[in-house]
Amino acid sequence: MNLLRLFRPVVRMLTRNRARAVFMMAGVTIGIASLMILSSIGESTRRETMKRFKNMLGTYDTVIIRPGSSKNRGMVSLTNVEPSLKFDDAGAIASQIPEIRQVAQLQNAFDIDVKYQDRSGTPAIFGVSSNWLELRGDEVAEGEFFSEDDCRSLSRVAILGADAQKQLFPDVDPIGKTIRIGDVPFVVRGVMVARGAGPAGGSLDNLIFIPVTTASKRLFNRDFLTMLIAQLKDPAQGQVAIDHIQTLLRGRHHIAQGALDDFNLTNPGAVMAQVNTLGSTLHKLLVVVAIAATGIGGIVIMSVTLIGVSERRTEIGVRRAVGASRNAILLQFLLEAVLLSFAGGILGILIGVGGTQIVARLQHLPFLLLPMAIFAASLLSIVLGLLFGVYPAWKASMTDPIDALRG
Amino acid sequence: MIQIDKISKTYSRDGLPVTALREVSFDIAAGDFVVIRGVSGSGKSTLLNLLGCLDSPSTGTYLLDGADVSHKNDAELSHIRSRKIGFIFQSFNLLPRTTAIENVELPMIYADQPIDRSRAVRALERVGLSHRERHFATELSGGEQQRVAIARSLINDPALILADEPTGNLDEEAAEAVMKILHELNGEGRTIVLVTHDDAVAANARRILLIRDGVLRESEVRA
Repeated sequence: MNLLRLFRPVVRMLTRNRARAVFMMAGVTIGIASLMILSSIGESTRRETMKRFKNMLGTYDTVIIRPGSSKNRGMVSLTNVEPSLKFDDAGAIASQIPEIRQVAQLQNAFDIDVKYQDRSGTPAIFGVSSNWLELRGDEVAEGEFFSEDDCRSLSRVAILGADAQKQLFPDVDPIGKTIRIGDVPFVVRGVMVARGAGPAGGSLDNLIFIPVTTASKRLFNRDFLTMLIAQLKDPAQGQVAIDHIQTLLRGRHHIAQGALDDFNLTNPGAVMAQVNTLGSTLHKLLVVVAIAATGIGGIVIMSVTLIGVSERRTEIGVRRAVGASRNAILLQFLLEAVLLSFAGGILGILIGVGGTQIVARLQHLPFLLLPMAIFAASLLSIVLGLLFGVYPAWKASMTDPIDALRG
Repeated sequence: MIQIDKISKTYSRDGLPVTALREVSFDIAAGDFVVIRGVSGSGKSTLLNLLGCLDSPSTGTYLLDGADVSHKNDAELSHIRSRKIGFIFQSFNLLPRTTAIENVELPMIYADQPIDRSRAVRALERVGLSHRERHFATELSGGEQQRVAIARSLINDPALILADEPTGNLDEEAAEAVMKILHELNGEGRTIVLVTHDDAVAANARRILLIRDGVLRESEVRA
């Protein structure tokens, strides 16, 4: 029996029984649509969370070293800095820890007024080493970042974060202009690409980068650092590097055995992996409900097809009489179920994509179209049709044509 | 064309064996017009189902065109029905929500040859219903429905046409039109086997087989 020969008549029968077809499709459609929405929104929530963490942490293959004991848990505290981490520590880590390729330095302040002509603000001032950009994965939008030479020569150059640029230079090209940080004049050399929101939702762009050496000697008059970022040669070596750095710094800081560290070490890669696995229980529960709804869609197809088999006994008898084998009847009913289920699935995908767009807009999430989800949903709807269509189709094929025609 | 030799059919009803046909034997020559008569429950429908390869005999042999079809499997019997046999029913049995032309095309789906609408159009023309092509069964009179059914039975060009009380649900005029078509088909050389209660219908037959209690009682041949 050629399946293609059955195709057109089956489609015709389905379109002529529109009410029944719509009813049979509805369950699958609702199930698939909710699955689509839930999986897409779940995935874009996860990606958005990841993105915000990445915005904050920069690249992952690093170890972050902060002053203060690890009892000060939580987000990076940039405001209340213990003076335990020194420039020499950065040099020692870079030269003595074999797992580390390079180290970036940060020294910062939050309470310094910045002025350009009559405009002013208090963006964060980040004194950083010239390799900061590379280790953070940030990019310059306009102009350029400062170099190692700038750091050595204590250049007074500044790179503006996107928000700082908007505040100080709303309608002027800032490159080459002189701003005053505190009382010290700096020449603007570049503007950063916006990093967007951090995990807490706040902007990460209201800041100005200057060379860490200039910050230390000309602005803050401080010899301790807020943070070091040590880049791993091999991302898998995070824990080994942390152990070595800990040993090194404890020695350098003369910390007695049993005493607490005066610094703490984190591996963003490990943090990210943890964030990544945090799926909300509610989301998982909803997915289970949606799968159940889709299954109920399959059961609707099965029961309506079963009713159809007994209603359509005469039709089955006639088809058998004019030459249909049992297999041909089985194929016909199976094809009906699969086509309906698949059509229901496609409708569900369309509604799902539309629904995802609406939910994404309401939740301020990026709209995400997952080809894999669309593929899986189509496949699922076909499998449902096969699974729940095979029993009624078998029943139909076993209908005795003589009985069926008698009556 | 048909050689029936000592065919019996027994089936079980409520666990008890019931014999519907008992050692029935007869031949039907190609191009014959045969009427099977008998009261309800006499076994004539069972005989027709056997002739139509919808059923297999319990014992005995059935040769159709020289080939033994007594013990074929479902696929083989379906293939024979598709190629050699056309069915006409008392209650027409057109498919609901299906147009006249689509009903006529139905057997082509299950045949070997390509689905060819022009053949269906010609078959409808042949029964005088080309103007009803797009009408649904429910929009046709009884006589028209039966003529569509005849067109359907003809579409794969069968040598044998089996009609079970084809005029039983029709008024006199429509019945006459149907019988006229059946005689024309017979005139073309097709073998017609017809089950009927109607004396007027039986009167036209060349042969009459009378079945009573599952036994062939009488085989009357007329000029």
